[in-house]
Amino acid sequence: MNFTAPFLLTLKLSTITTSLLFIIGIPFAYWLAFSKIRLKFVVESVVALPLVLPPTVLGFYLLMAIGGNSFVGRWYEGVFHKTLAFSFQGLVVGSFIYNLPFAIRPFQLAFIGVDKKLLEASWSLGRSKLYTFLFVIFPLSRQGVITGCILSFAHCVGEFGVVLMIGGNIPGITKVASVAIYDEVQVLNYGTANIYAAILLAFSFVILTVVYFVNRRFLLRMF
Amino acid sequence: MIKVRVKKTWGKFGLDVNFEVPHEKVTILFGPSGSGKSSILRLVSGLEMADGGMIQKGEDVWYDELRAINLLPQQRSVGFVFQDFALFPHLTVEKNVAYGIKEKKRLKEAKDLLSLVGLSGYERYYPGQLSGGQKQRVALIRALARRPDILLLDEPLSALDWETRRQLQEDLKRIIKQFCITTLYVTHDVTEVYKLADYVVALESGRVVKQGTPEEIFMGRRLSTRIQVVGKVVDIESDPIMAAVTVLHESQYFKTLIDTEEILRMNLSIGDDVVIGAKSSDVILCKVFAEA
Repeated sequence: MNFTAPFLLTLKLSTITTSLLFIIGIPFAYWLAFSKIRLKFVVESVVALPLVLPPTVLGFYLLMAIGGNSFVGRWYEGVFHKTLAFSFQGLVVGSFIYNLPFAIRPFQLAFIGVDKKLLEASWSLGRSKLYTFLFVIFPLSRQGVITGCILSFAHCVGEFGVVLMIGGNIPGITKVASVAIYDEVQVLNYGTANIYAAILLAFSFVILTVVYFVNRRFLLRMF
Repeated sequence: MIKVRVKKTWGKFGLDVNFEVPHEKVTILFGPSGSGKSSILRLVSGLEMADGGMIQKGEDVWYDELRAINLLPQQRSVGFVFQDFALFPHLTVEKNVAYGIKEKKRLKEAKDLLSLVGLSGYERYYPGQLSGGQKQRVALIRALARRPDILLLDEPLSALDWETRRQLQEDLKRIIKQFCITTLYVTHDVTEVYKLADYVVALESGRVVKQGTPEEIFMGRRLSTRIQVVGKVVDIESDPIMAAVTVLHESQYFKTLIDTEEILRMNLSIGDDVVIGAKSSDVILCKVFAEA
């Protein structure tokens, strides 16, 4: 048995998910922070859903949404000639949605926290909204952005329910570390399960320590 | 010349003003808190949109309700100096000043501008390392750096202590004259009006109640329930508790008693320009009959 494969897969999934959350999440969080549309709270509720939903519920609906009978599933199969469900790409989609609040919320709070006067100063100095974002908002929000990235990465490492629902347990493709622990326990192989679990525990502890070290005050405001 | 004719309502407060800002002069918007002074600056700069009216700079229309024109703040050539400075805390002083400059060699230009306000050598400092007066100098020169058509100052000295305020009044006057820039300046401090204004627009409750030179505003018809006399200190007699200050105003002498502590706090000395203020209810007015 390849002992390290589940960990490598976990790291690959977490890195890709976090990168996507950064690329897509930053403009999305900017929109949530500064948009004045009335129904924004509905979008915010949808983004926050993974915080309260049992992962199995989310996983079930995601499976329905990307399965072979769904529109997305059929489109994906037509283009790439393979199924999205029970594939690594499917896991990335699920992880992305499941981790949205862990990235979006810190990003959004950090953007809102930038003094509005500074944005007005930038605009009155002739600079566009994009320039203002790149050179004022983003640098002043970096602690929130770093926190969001680290939290979503760490949360992705530990996710289990959603992964099992939409990815199953295919070695080297969808069998991440948390699923591997479950597998080992199923076959009463407690020793190996313990090693996997201890590594995940240590990893999570280190990540959270780093986050609290990076920005204790920001986290206190958030929770 | 900038023409401002705007209406705007916030809840129960309504602003409805019509005035002109003379070219290359310092116009002061003067009035008590809540009279709508700062709101006018925000409307002129485009940071807020009016409900109606027009804002025009020469032939350029910045806002016109009827023609549905409303230029963004970026499209209006304004320099805005905020009450609390609004310096970018993550940028050095020179990068703050260079922020609005779009030409090449922006840092070189920023350095030259900083020397104008006596801040050479502070280029690499961060705003957090500066005193209040230094921050306001940086904010002023940053607003002027892109050579705007109009400079807007929103109570720029109110966050500073008395001594710094007095020094900065002189600096402001010098720099504004040097740049020959049309200026709209908000304050409720009458001494700033006398020091800086070419023209005054007096506001009360969102309406213009009077416009004119400072002398016309304060020496002419009474604007409010306060009486003010401007003059020069010619004599101070003090003991440890009280001091008698004699002020000369147009060949008239006014003598008033104040706490000695107050004299020390203001660092008041002979030759200083001062304003004597009194409630009109405390003043007796008598007709003087010429001797037959």
